[in-house]
Amino acid sequence: MKLLDRYEEVVGHHEIQRLYRLAERLAGKRVVHVNSTRNGGGVAEILRWMIPLMQELGIDASWEVLEGTADFYRVTKSFHNGLQGLPVSLKKRDYDLHYEINRENAERLNLHADVVFVHDPQPIYLPQFTPKDQVGRWIWRCHIDASRPDRGVWKYLEAALPQYEATIFSMAAFTRPVACPMFLIPPSIDPLSDKNCPIPEAERLETLTRLDIDPDRPMLLQVSRFDRFKDPLGVIEAYRLLKPYHAGLQLVLAGGPAEDDPEGAEVLREVLDWAGEDKDLKVLLLPPDAHRDINALQRSAIVVLQKSIREGFGLTVTEALWKGKPVIGGACGGITLQVHDYHTGFLVHSPAGAAYRIRYLMRYNDKRLRMGQNGYDFVREHFLLTRHLRDYFTMVLSLDRPEPDSLVV
Amino acid sequence: MAVEPFVLVDCSLARRAIGRNCSNLRELLDAVRTVPDAVLEHHMLRCPLEDHFEMYEFPNDLARWCWEALGDPVLAEELGLVDPYKETSIAGLRSTLIDTIEDRLWGQDRIPWCRSGFELHLVASRLVAYDTGERIPTPAALVETVERMSLRSLFFHVHEARRRTGGQTDDFSFWLEQFDTCKELVTGLREIDFYFLNLSQLHKEILDLFQQHSFVPTVT
Repeated sequence: MKLLDRYEEVVGHHEIQRLYRLAERLAGKRVVHVNSTRNGGGVAEILRWMIPLMQELGIDASWEVLEGTADFYRVTKSFHNGLQGLPVSLKKRDYDLHYEINRENAERLNLHADVVFVHDPQPIYLPQFTPKDQVGRWIWRCHIDASRPDRGVWKYLEAALPQYEATIFSMAAFTRPVACPMFLIPPSIDPLSDKNCPIPEAERLETLTRLDIDPDRPMLLQVSRFDRFKDPLGVIEAYRLLKPYHAGLQLVLAGGPAEDDPEGAEVLREVLDWAGEDKDLKVLLLPPDAHRDINALQRSAIVVLQKSIREGFGLTVTEALWKGKPVIGGACGGITLQVHDYHTGFLVHSPAGAAYRIRYLMRYNDKRLRMGQNGYDFVREHFLLTRHLRDYFTMVLSLDRPEPDSLVV
Repeated sequence: MAVEPFVLVDCSLARRAIGRNCSNLRELLDAVRTVPDAVLEHHMLRCPLEDHFEMYEFPNDLARWCWEALGDPVLAEELGLVDPYKETSIAGLRSTLIDTIEDRLWGQDRIPWCRSGFELHLVASRLVAYDTGERIPTPAALVETVERMSLRSLFFHVHEARRRTGGQTDDFSFWLEQFDTCKELVTGLREIDFYFLNLSQLHKEILDLFQQHSFVPTVT
């Protein structure tokens, strides 16, 4: 059985056939994706499914991974923070190191291709050091909100962009003007991954029991790192505002351990202090591979929160919507693309707003269920990996044939 | 003469940010005056491809943004009534939009602004259409096909067809016109106020219309 056939159960036979038909126009094209790690992180997660699916669709796709030193990754972590707008302090030698590692990798990696997708800032200078006839077209895929970057970091990265024919951002609000076309391709989820696949009821109940959560009482959930931008204290405040009206209500804050993140550890301490002795409020530290536990928690929640103050695309919102849960989301980043008032949940601006909207959803069961169904349908149409592939193919076809405005291929 | 089968097409959008956004009404007016045609095309004509819910009140992005972000219901209502399919060109559409927005701005003491985070990010798009390989030989087979058709195909055969034909017809009724038994159906299809509906609603309306015609097997 082909990998793609498994997705027919989710998106339908005809949707998969359409993908084959579109991909036929690109058959045999050699496509290389380059990023900085094969394991861990959202980009690697995407490439792990994207490469085999592109291959099944007749595209000669492969995945190359940059090699760097610990110092290199310290610098690129600063690039990441700087692109997101945090002030960073990098010296000339840091930029030189990045440039040099890109040069070394350009000699080592197999970049002979019609199209090379360069993911994020780590490999951004590869085109500088690759012979012109090796690559038909360079495309920079920026997964980060680069709308308000640190000036120094942006100046350095921007200087690499003239080598690219196009860039891709997740949403228009994440872009900043550059000289080449800025395509918009939102990320997606894999509906068959451990985090999103259907799970047996027995497993769901076992997970709740193991995590000491009462399956018979309503539960609110936020899945996120312990980070101030995710406003975990605001979530607790909203829960406390609701508790007098729903004595049986439970709150679960699920995130990863924060040993290597000093700020995360501090936020976690604050959250634990704030949670106090409340037995209905669980702060869960789950390992990075606890995908099925997260899945079970999301499927068990009555409402899912993502009360961020600042957010990237917010794939945790997509995951919750996919499980038929209305989402109470902070009005920022990609949450605003996914949470639509009265349709898939509510955008909120304060803990009181979150409490108020949850109270509404708990009062009107039918509306809550309908919004949950809307959310599922919405993700099925717009945020599954099949749409993601279609967008990539459409973009490449569009670049291949720049005229006219409407293109029949 | 035998009727050629209906050619089923699907489509997808290549969307591009143009690196420009609007925070207030004056910026919107300036943008409408100066942005490339593909931007107006996207926000006025192609938004059904991104429109997800039945409860959205306005059929285009500009009206919706004025309602939701600027809090200007008067302008939202006026822009909601601008029907781009009645315009023969994007230049004509641009002129109508400028006139509508300028008129509203003229009488304002204060320029309406949106809150931070609710800016209108301007996007251009290009429609990439492709033959699905499916050929539909009969009206009855067309019904079965429309029932399982992607909303993108529906957009191509209704909205995009109206653009191609200067607002005259959709592809379904153009093809059905060749069958003597389908005259009423053709009229019914052309009377659908498609711009007012989102794609799911349009899908349902077309199926309902098909079901009212005797040649069509009952769709379950």
